[in-house]
Amino acid sequence: MGAASRRALVALPAVGAVAVSAGVASPAEAAVYLPRAWTRTAIPTAATLHQLKRFTSGYTPALNKQVIAAGGFTKWFEKQLGGSYSDGWSSDTSRWWTSINASASEIWRRDQEGIEGMWLADANYERWTLVRRLGSQRQVLETMTDFWENHLHVPAKGEVGPFRSSYGKTIRRFALGRYDDMLAAAITHPAMAVYLGNANSSKVAPNENLGRELLELHTVGRGNFDEDDVKTSARILTGYRIDSWRTWTFSYDPAHHWTGPVGVLGFSHANAAPDGRAVLTAYLRHLARHPATARRIAFKLARRFVSDTPTDALVARLAKVYLASNTDIRPVLRSLVTSTEFRGAYGTGKKVRNPTEDVVATWRSLGATITAAPRDGEAEVAANEILWQTSSLGLRPFSWQPPDGRPDTAAAWSSTSRFLNSLDLHYTMSGGWWPQVGVRFRTARSWLPADRIRFDQLVDHLARTIHGRGSTSLLLQAACEATGCTPATSITANHQVVKYEMARLLTVFLDCPTHMTR
Amino acid sequence: MAESTDDTDCGCPEFSGMSRRGLFRGALSAGLTTTALFGSTFVETSWAQPLATGAPSAPSVLVVLSMRGAVDGMSLVVPHGDPAYYAARPRIAIPASQLLAKDSFFGLHPQLAPLLPMWNDGRIAAVHAAGLPAPNRSHFAAMEEVEDAAPGSLTRTGWLNRLIGRDTFTSPLQAVHLGGSLPPASLSGPQPTVALETIGDMRLAGVDKWDVGGRRTRSMQTTWRSFGGSLGAGARSAMQAIDDFTPVKATSATPANGASYPSTDLGKALAATARTIRGDVGAEVITVDSGSWDHHVDLGTLAWGQMQRMAEEFATALAAFFTDLGGLGGKVTVVAFSEFGRRTKENNNYGLDHGWGNVMLLLGAGVKGGHHGQWPGLVNEANGDLSVTTDYRSVLAEVVVKRMGASSAAVFPGFTPSTVGALL
Repeated sequence: MGAASRRALVALPAVGAVAVSAGVASPAEAAVYLPRAWTRTAIPTAATLHQLKRFTSGYTPALNKQVIAAGGFTKWFEKQLGGSYSDGWSSDTSRWWTSINASASEIWRRDQEGIEGMWLADANYERWTLVRRLGSQRQVLETMTDFWENHLHVPAKGEVGPFRSSYGKTIRRFALGRYDDMLAAAITHPAMAVYLGNANSSKVAPNENLGRELLELHTVGRGNFDEDDVKTSARILTGYRIDSWRTWTFSYDPAHHWTGPVGVLGFSHANAAPDGRAVLTAYLRHLARHPATARRIAFKLARRFVSDTPTDALVARLAKVYLASNTDIRPVLRSLVTSTEFRGAYGTGKKVRNPTEDVVATWRSLGATITAAPRDGEAEVAANEILWQTSSLGLRPFSWQPPDGRPDTAAAWSSTSRFLNSLDLHYTMSGGWWPQVGVRFRTARSWLPADRIRFDQLVDHLARTIHGRGSTSLLLQAACEATGCTPATSITANHQVVKYEMARLLTVFLDCPTHMTR
Repeated sequence: MAESTDDTDCGCPEFSGMSRRGLFRGALSAGLTTTALFGSTFVETSWAQPLATGAPSAPSVLVVLSMRGAVDGMSLVVPHGDPAYYAARPRIAIPASQLLAKDSFFGLHPQLAPLLPMWNDGRIAAVHAAGLPAPNRSHFAAMEEVEDAAPGSLTRTGWLNRLIGRDTFTSPLQAVHLGGSLPPASLSGPQPTVALETIGDMRLAGVDKWDVGGRRTRSMQTTWRSFGGSLGAGARSAMQAIDDFTPVKATSATPANGASYPSTDLGKALAATARTIRGDVGAEVITVDSGSWDHHVDLGTLAWGQMQRMAEEFATALAAFFTDLGGLGGKVTVVAFSEFGRRTKENNNYGLDHGWGNVMLLLGAGVKGGHHGQWPGLVNEANGDLSVTTDYRSVLAEVVVKRMGASSAAVFPGFTPSTVGALL
């Protein structure tokens, strides 16, 4: 056992002791590690930084400029909600993989001809979402698409036929629109029908899977329905057919639809016609407007953007806005960002980035960019390999298996594997070691804002560039310890930190709470 | 400073073991002299033997295999003697003639053949019609209820976290989740635990031959020394566990005794479980997830479908696990179960919707092989469930009391277990 790990062993009990006490560097350390500002590097206000971290895939200096050009966060946010910024990146990159815009029959044909398996088509869809988040000018749209795609979760693992890309694009279309429209489109989409067993449910013995999850997960939530509601819900959903594994043709056959009076949670209908689709649409729109659905959506939004444990008062307010706005999501978001609860969450850093968010934020923080479209889904280029980075952290964008969607709490994303694998990714990306093809990393020299600079000022410049805020005593200490520098060390392009150890320095800015939370 | 003195190893394994234990388990010296802290003589005796590696040994290991999505236990342990079983499942029932280890009432799914030798040796117990005291057909609510196992309690802790909290040890390696980076609810609570997707994950990036003087480790300890919440605690647990986990990383990645695991997530997770047990780092609880067993569609028949494929994988992986463990299997008990069972009657998609009672399987050390519990009789109607006659906590209580030396009341507060007799 080496000296380093021995030392680690001895140091640990002290670490634990500090953890339960003050929570700040001791006065003696603070005196040694006094941050020194490098004010030439611009940063947003603390409030704006908080807003941007919660509503985008990660801070960048370019994002800060976009906000300034818009006239501040509020105006920028309105432009984001209104779709003023270009969607060119999204449409351009959608052409990087054939399957993103291909029809279901084309995706199935390619699978059958051995050109691209459906699992790969789904993987390519995941890649596109990562690349979108990386470079999109419509950051709020991408964030909300992720939110809804997780709320109405359907995995992208090749298990829902040739429909997953179409499903994701459907969600994106409504992500800043009305929830009743989105719910109706999602529940009747063939991807959902395959995933939750509605594809060939029938009046003879209805499959209850989608009927249940529609109530428990997508709308009113636990405790607001009973088993009779599940059965009725399943009956209303009957009639859809999918020619699974032959043609994947999606159709509606009235012969399979259960007819007769139905009543669920205040919705009632004679349901006498053989074609039950109009009843289903009315039922879904009713559920979207149910007060329990409003509370559930409000709670999930508050948990995503404010706190793992949002207050009842905030949830009640957002639910009220949701109902008053006819399930339009934009007024709810406006109410959320102006709430005292959201503002009160400034700088608390309690929302932990999940693995997928960590990967995208790491690229953005380091100024790493994708420089080439992949030739196909199997080419070893960055636009493809970014997906393996998310899986190394334990979560691809849509690999979560159960229909509840991945969790959105700190406890879920704080495990040993997650933490240590995040550090591994940060270090690899800091060194620019992988991916190697189709990517551009900044040079070590480019991180120096002057030919000669004190180490403490370099740390401050890096904090401003990567985190969007100035350095702290703790960060300076960690940077000094990682490199062997002192705050006063003079750094030039010939210093060993720049020549050989920039990765060891940069990773300090990613391996910390500021980067691993949003 | 301690840092410089500790660099000089005294060369005495006993000392090095003792000092490491002291570091990670603050109350160790008290524990060695105060038997009351341990709760049982059995446990105390074992803990009192420091190993040369420095890591404490776990005298008994409990492996909890969660069959996520709710497996149809009536397809695994088939009640062929109940006529309603065949009446309710005209297409997916398993013909009695195909069953293994068939007695007058039950028989095993043919794809469980790899486990037949253990079954015939009396090392596998099946407790049928077990589950929650009242039906809960929501996967998510039922999993929480099953894994908290403390109804009415306001604090959200899992039963396994309470189990490892019964002593004064605080090593995060006392309970390890393997095969995934997301720990189950059963492990959540005040005791730190470890969740690892693979054994190789347990390393601190940047600690390499070019990292002079322990800079990287010190920098990370500084960074995370005071951050609160789950992430701060998780970071500190991870860094604390790295060194103690070294013996596991030193074990061979090749399974022992010619064991051959399926190359699936479950096979990999159980292979990692065997290595962790072999590494002897004090992991007394190991959790593994398997699934999804949520077979609303295409549960299928013996010729095709998800059940025959997954039953084979399940049996092959568990059989390989005990082959791999060899003699170490003498201290390892596996409990495999789901959040609930499935409906008696098949649906229109060769599948089964959510039900209630289910089978719990126990394998390995201390298990009294064969069938346990009471069969309630099936009813062939649309909403018919297998009723629960054995609260799942009664089964788990026997395991924690007889194998782990724990008190049932501490692990399952407010619950009075009934005798099941599935453990020796």
